[in-house]
Amino acid sequence: MLALAPKPSSLTAAQPLAVASRWVTSGCDGRGVWGRCTGTSAEPYDCVIDHVGVAFRCTCPSRSTPCKHALALLLLWVRGSVAEAETPPGFAAAWLAGRVAAVSPVVDSPSPPPADAPTDAPGSAAAPSPAESLPLPPTRDGRDDRVARMSAGLAELDRWLDDRLRTGLADPALARYDTWDDLAARLVDAQVGGLANRVRRMAGLVGAHPQWHGHVLAEMGALHLLATAGRRLGSLPPHLADSVAAAIGWQVRQADVLAGVPHTDHWMVLGRSDTREDRIEVRRFWLRGRDTGDWAMLLSFAAYGQSLDTSFAVGTEVHADLFRYPGALGLRSLLGRRHNEPVAATDVAGVTIAVACAGIGRAIVAEPWLDRYPVCVVAAPARIGARWVLTDATGSLPLQPGVGGIGQLLACSEGRPTVIVAEWTPGGLVPLTLHLPDRSIDIGPVAEASFLAASR
Amino acid sequence: MSSTADGTTRLDDYWEQMVTVALLGTDRREPPVPPTGGLADLAADDPLPTASQRLLQQMAACTTVRRAGVLPAPPAALIAAPAPDPRPVTPPSATATWRRLVIDWPVLEDEWVLAVLATGRRLAPELVPPVLGRHRTDVVRHERALLAAGPLGAWMVEWSPRLACTGRRPTSGLELAVHHLPELPIVPELLPLLEAPADQVARTLATGLSKATFNAGHRAVLINLVARVNPSSLPAVGAALNSVDALSPSVGLAYALTELVHLRHHMLTELEPA
Repeated sequence: MLALAPKPSSLTAAQPLAVASRWVTSGCDGRGVWGRCTGTSAEPYDCVIDHVGVAFRCTCPSRSTPCKHALALLLLWVRGSVAEAETPPGFAAAWLAGRVAAVSPVVDSPSPPPADAPTDAPGSAAAPSPAESLPLPPTRDGRDDRVARMSAGLAELDRWLDDRLRTGLADPALARYDTWDDLAARLVDAQVGGLANRVRRMAGLVGAHPQWHGHVLAEMGALHLLATAGRRLGSLPPHLADSVAAAIGWQVRQADVLAGVPHTDHWMVLGRSDTREDRIEVRRFWLRGRDTGDWAMLLSFAAYGQSLDTSFAVGTEVHADLFRYPGALGLRSLLGRRHNEPVAATDVAGVTIAVACAGIGRAIVAEPWLDRYPVCVVAAPARIGARWVLTDATGSLPLQPGVGGIGQLLACSEGRPTVIVAEWTPGGLVPLTLHLPDRSIDIGPVAEASFLAASR
Repeated sequence: MSSTADGTTRLDDYWEQMVTVALLGTDRREPPVPPTGGLADLAADDPLPTASQRLLQQMAACTTVRRAGVLPAPPAALIAAPAPDPRPVTPPSATATWRRLVIDWPVLEDEWVLAVLATGRRLAPELVPPVLGRHRTDVVRHERALLAAGPLGAWMVEWSPRLACTGRRPTSGLELAVHHLPELPIVPELLPLLEAPADQVARTLATGLSKATFNAGHRAVLINLVARVNPSSLPAVGAALNSVDALSPSVGLAYALTELVHLRHHMLTELEPA
């Protein structure tokens, strides 16, 4: 039990729940243990444990695996307080049946992931935990089937794009969300969920402003690139193929990433941004190594009622191992071992606008479909006409129109050059953080509190 | 078709021509010829049979080139900074306190801003936009926020007009109202407690809640009372509320009031000069 608990306090938290009176519909058989834990929430949490394959499933919003409910149920079971049952109830039967099934593809996921592949995210409802994904080996047949489905989906996407250009963007059908959503649904069926998210985002661009045609066409261009590259994965250089695969929705197991070589550095947490992608809130932490100057990104995901990662604070620095996902840029990472407690990040250095532009250009050359990239500049907010920009002696870059945080950017900088971390996007920069000499101010987009649960 | 001096089409012009064709559809209009260079080479190396496919290929390539080749616009003139304000800013912890109180206990916000003014401080810069924006429909509170923000407040309103006050200014009494706490409704029987000794306030509240003389129906007036009771009474009131009988039906109300007491005490001590 101690070995299973993610931390000693988890076991302490589980102890009060390890009493039969807190559980209903509990039972066990040769494969699983299950039960409904009644607690402070209106609905009980459905908890199921595969004690053969060692995996856990619980409907509580906790990010820990196993959660305190699973640990409590295990405690009850090892104490002999869970009765044998012939058949598991509905909430447990399907999951256990899935576990028992001999065929389990490497990366299959039943629901569409957001662009950055969140289905292996710890906070996602659809996310298989590392324990879930470990014991079941891939089968060649399942993999080939999936490749065939993806290839067919990419071909269909390209045909759809082609039809749009043939009939023209003035087609009134494009103004209907259904037009885009139907395509996205077919892409999800084809297991290219990363592209489905991009398609849904495009739907929001239609009619958003007078220049929407240009933006939609640019996105269609990026989709065409991915649809073409995705069907030629085998002929691409390995890193580029990894990037394409990730962008179209091919998942990489966390266990495989964590088996790689760690990138150890003093990581400064320079920025944070929350964005809603379909029905999932995505949090990005942008980290930069003090020693190497390399950027890395940590992602966390939350469906409605779940919580996002709060283990990092912007403006801190931690000596830690990061494990990078494969790819040409390799920004997305997983956190490994932390070697010390976080300390305040000092002397955050920024570059000029011109140098930042060159960095953005290099990143886009590596991954042309890139839709965000971090920059850390020493610049001042200013106006060119009606548009806000960040400016220095080497030039200006526009801020995304209507983006939040401009007021605080202006107030904290008082119009003077300041170290600013921002995300480049095709629509302009999104300011994330001001690093002042004595503190850092997080001004990045924040997820709606009503969408998320309080951190547990 | 606009061209450069040597007769070649500029990339931006080429993009605009493609947008026009895409808007109408390639069934109605042929895509433009790519300009000499990489885009033309791509079209020659990977010839495609239909006009729509050729346009899609060129749009993808052109998007990549335009994004990867992003260049800074010319430098913009810097904005003149606001006049200096010698007052010390509120500490970072006070920023967190303000965020908490506007969500949980907005009844304390007026006193918080007045405490900032009374202690000779000014609002931390990051608080200026949210405080001004929050009170832009309330003349008194907006004026108070402008005082607490100092020259930065007026400067922000100048650069971000949505932070300006939209309420109608009263003909008189604004100055007085800005520097005084607004009165909160408190039942006459409890009014004497506002200036009563700390132990009397504490005893009255604890007894009333333990015996459930005070119940959920008194919540609003008790919150108003705690928000206005003499600050020197707060430690004693907090201790007394902690001792309310856990079996009393009003224990939940006691917990809520305890939190209010602690937050108010915390916000006032936090703003005291070092």
